Amino acid sequence: MEIFIAQLISGLALGSIYVLLVTGFNLMLLVAKIIQFAYPQIVVISMYTCWGVLQLTDNKFLVILAGISISIILSILSEPIFRKITSTQGVDINVSFIASMGMAMIIMDIMSHSINYGFPVAFPSEWVGGNLLRFGLITVSEGQLYALIGGIIAVLLFSFLLYRTNQGRFFRAIAENRFAACLVGIPIVKTSIFSYFIVGVLGGFSAILFSMLIGSASPWLGEFVALKMLAVSIVAGLGNLRGGLVCGLLLGIIEAMAVGYISGSWSNVIAFVVMLVVILIKPQGLFGSKI
Amino acid sequence: MSEILYYFLGFTAIYILMGWALYLPYKVGQLHFLIVACMAVTAYFGGFAAREWGWPFVMILIGGIFIGAMISFIFSLAIGKAPCFTVVIVGLTSVFIVKTIIENWRLLGGTVGFFHIPTVNNLLPIIYIFLFVVGFLIYKIDHSRLGRAASVVFVDREVAVTLGVDIKKLGAFFQIMAGAIAGIAGILDAFLVNSLSPEFFTFSMIAYLMCILFVGGYTTMWGVILSAFILQGIPLLFPSEIASWRQVIYGALLVLIILMRPEGLITRKMLWRLKPRLSYK
Repeated sequence: MEIFIAQLISGLALGSIYVLLVTGFNLMLLVAKIIQFAYPQIVVISMYTCWGVLQLTDNKFLVILAGISISIILSILSEPIFRKITSTQGVDINVSFIASMGMAMIIMDIMSHSINYGFPVAFPSEWVGGNLLRFGLITVSEGQLYALIGGIIAVLLFSFLLYRTNQGRFFRAIAENRFAACLVGIPIVKTSIFSYFIVGVLGGFSAILFSMLIGSASPWLGEFVALKMLAVSIVAGLGNLRGGLVCGLLLGIIEAMAVGYISGSWSNVIAFVVMLVVILIKPQGLFGSKI
Repeated sequence: MSEILYYFLGFTAIYILMGWALYLPYKVGQLHFLIVACMAVTAYFGGFAAREWGWPFVMILIGGIFIGAMISFIFSLAIGKAPCFTVVIVGLTSVFIVKTIIENWRLLGGTVGFFHIPTVNNLLPIIYIFLFVVGFLIYKIDHSRLGRAASVVFVDREVAVTLGVDIKKLGAFFQIMAGAIAGIAGILDAFLVNSLSPEFFTFSMIAYLMCILFVGGYTTMWGVILSAFILQGIPLLFPSEIASWRQVIYGALLVLIILMRPEGLITRKMLWRLKPRLSYK
């Protein structure tokens, strides 16, 4: 039972980060009409930035600020590229996926060449925190708890933005019907650019929580996270924000349970097999696609 | 023939085969990354059958084609007419699952790799014979009713359905063809390198195949040939300091080509102008 509770906490922490990632991904899909495959790579770059700043200072506020800032900057820098693609080739999400795959290749190779000679980086113990609970070999760290609390707060804040503010209404209106949103005077381009900013903030938050939760980063982490993020978004239904919330949390819990009860790297496969089966049975997703 | 030229020609041919395996399902708008999983499975099958069971090359090749086609067939029952992005995820997930299984299976060498696969005499001519045969088949398909039906599906699915095109069957057909071609590529790769590693079948390979298809041009089969030679040649042409950044170069090429020449270097219009005989009527 103790193992179950420990893994549940770990799974909820991981799941809340997946929720943030999938929400950011879905926001881009719904508002900017693009598939941003390089988004997890931006998250990993932000993790590296946090690690780099931690080498210089112990000030956690500066570390968080740097992580979020770099994510926002990279997200906004990608905007002109996607705008050019969508303006010249219409709204074709496949084309944006291909271009973002190119961006992911660039970011990944830069990370594997330039940062720490391509070796994975480990975050200092002051950042990750000590162990709060221990059940035999399984522990619940401070980092996991912070990630869980941080993830819940971030999801609540984003939900507030989306469902209780004018900007959120703009996002949802564009997602529902771009043309009708334009007719009622919603600034499409401005809102689209703002979505890149919000996605950058979400990415930065995810990076900070990820670094606290797993305590390390590597150039290949983005590839792994991208696969999970895309799979969750498909299982939930492309562009389905509520579906993403449920499926993101579920994936985190399934993964944590698999790690707790199945030995070795086989545990990683379990989550993917579950997702693959769901996709094959229900290609439109469990909650229905919004695209 | 020098060793560098031997491997350059061998790998380029294998990547052309894989590029075509990606090109075929993309004719109906599906990015079928499952081919990389098919290639991994058949490569390991080939290596294992040759080293452990002593099977002859021809039998292994037939087995590889069958396995590749069967994997694709089983998946095509579910994703035959699925949207592009669903097919992408199925492919990416399958690659990861296959890679993890290989890494955890001691019989296949695990993360260390699988070595000492027997050599085959005159492998390079055999590879190019297969390349020619597969190329000829794809050329014929491109210029058949199937190829034209696929072009309609790519442009407008609803129009294709109105015209009586069975998208699921067509998608499944191209996926099975792609799986079979990936099967050939997997077997040839195993015998060319004489060793296998799960690290070969990763996102980098998928991204590289995407570059081959989209930089060369996805509207004709010739683009794949051009870009495979260019992209394989980059590490050889440039100094090693620059060549080691080839993923950045490939990524930048992919983004630039999407921005500036979305249909790739070789397009149908270009072929119409250059060689009327190759055009689609």
